[in-house]
Amino acid sequence: MDMAMVNTYLLIVALVSLFANTIIAIYGIFFKPHYTKKVISLTILSDTLNLFAVYLGFRRWVAGQNPRPPVLVSEPTRDNIISFAQRAVDPLPQALVLTAIVIGLAVTLFLIFLGYMLYTHYKTLDMREIRKLRG
Amino acid sequence: MKPVNLLVIITLILSASFLLTFASSYIVPTENLRRLALFYLVTTYNPETQYTALSPEGVTAIVWDYRGLDTLFETAVFFLALIAALSLVRGLYAETPPQEVSREAGLSTIVKTVTRITAPMIIAVGASVALHGHLTPGGGFQGGSIVAVAPMVFMVIFSSLYVLRKGVTTTKMLVLRSIGLIGVGLTSIAVFMAGLILGELGYVFQNMPKPGAPLGMPSHVGGTLISGTLWFFNLFEMFAVAAGFTLIFIVLLIAGKKEG
Repeated sequence: MDMAMVNTYLLIVALVSLFANTIIAIYGIFFKPHYTKKVISLTILSDTLNLFAVYLGFRRWVAGQNPRPPVLVSEPTRDNIISFAQRAVDPLPQALVLTAIVIGLAVTLFLIFLGYMLYTHYKTLDMREIRKLRG
Repeated sequence: MKPVNLLVIITLILSASFLLTFASSYIVPTENLRRLALFYLVTTYNPETQYTALSPEGVTAIVWDYRGLDTLFETAVFFLALIAALSLVRGLYAETPPQEVSREAGLSTIVKTVTRITAPMIIAVGASVALHGHLTPGGGFQGGSIVAVAPMVFMVIFSSLYVLRKGVTTTKMLVLRSIGLIGVGLTSIAVFMAGLILGELGYVFQNMPKPGAPLGMPSHVGGTLISGTLWFFNLFEMFAVAAGFTLIFIVLLIAGKKEG
């Protein structure tokens, strides 16, 4: 096996793991009865989707060349910029994912405080018992 | 099996199949995705073009220059979530710290001494990540998150009332957070206001001089690259994020302490 095939194989392993992660997280959101586990599943889901976006921006593998981070570390001459643009990964999904992480953090923060208020009202975070308690 | 569960399972299978169909053409990302990236990669630190951000770090250039308005609203969303959380738990945490907190509170002396030594290092690393955000991977949000680790460690190692007694109260953190946000806002309209005063054309969130808008922030100060507005954005965002996280930790720990 040559290197390109190994790398394609590793990328596909990562992608299949992402799908498995997504399915597990959706299962956790719907079927786990405890509120905290639902929140944890939600963060796992959002992280998986963020990783999926970064994966889409990851550069197609060119034989013998490693992809580089989108940081120019040499003098900004024309040749350096051309070789940098050929080898660097896509920075746009990374910037979008940074935004998505912060928004997800805000949502998680709100959910945590909501769960705290749930606990102070009902003295439990188990969704089955909260449903029994007249909503 | 209840019909709701069956419906959920069918939805799961259908959505997973849809995702797989969508992604099967991107098992290895195609070259079509590359064209959008090339614009950003070529112009991010290119003194020859007129559309450059003059920042070697592509992600920070996109976050604060090309798509600056998105990031401003993202910061606003985080701030609103913070306000919502505070209003949800209002009255549940004590604003004024008690006068007497025993010295034996918290973990052992060894842990406390190590924490006292490492906390300045944590803050230094966070500040370094934030202030070099236009040169190396990192930025205001990442640096601020690292800085916020130091108060959290203090709250865990010493008692959670220790930081309150040392003056790190929720009100001060909210004020610091607001100062950071005001700094971000002022930096975003700096070139616009300079354009109003000087009678030139300038835009909100303008960083470098563009064709038709000759004003811009200086890219170098004393021979050091600061990439115009990016350095200021990273600085103020670091303050805002660090203060916001510290505020959350204080409220969570103290509210948890009072209500069990």
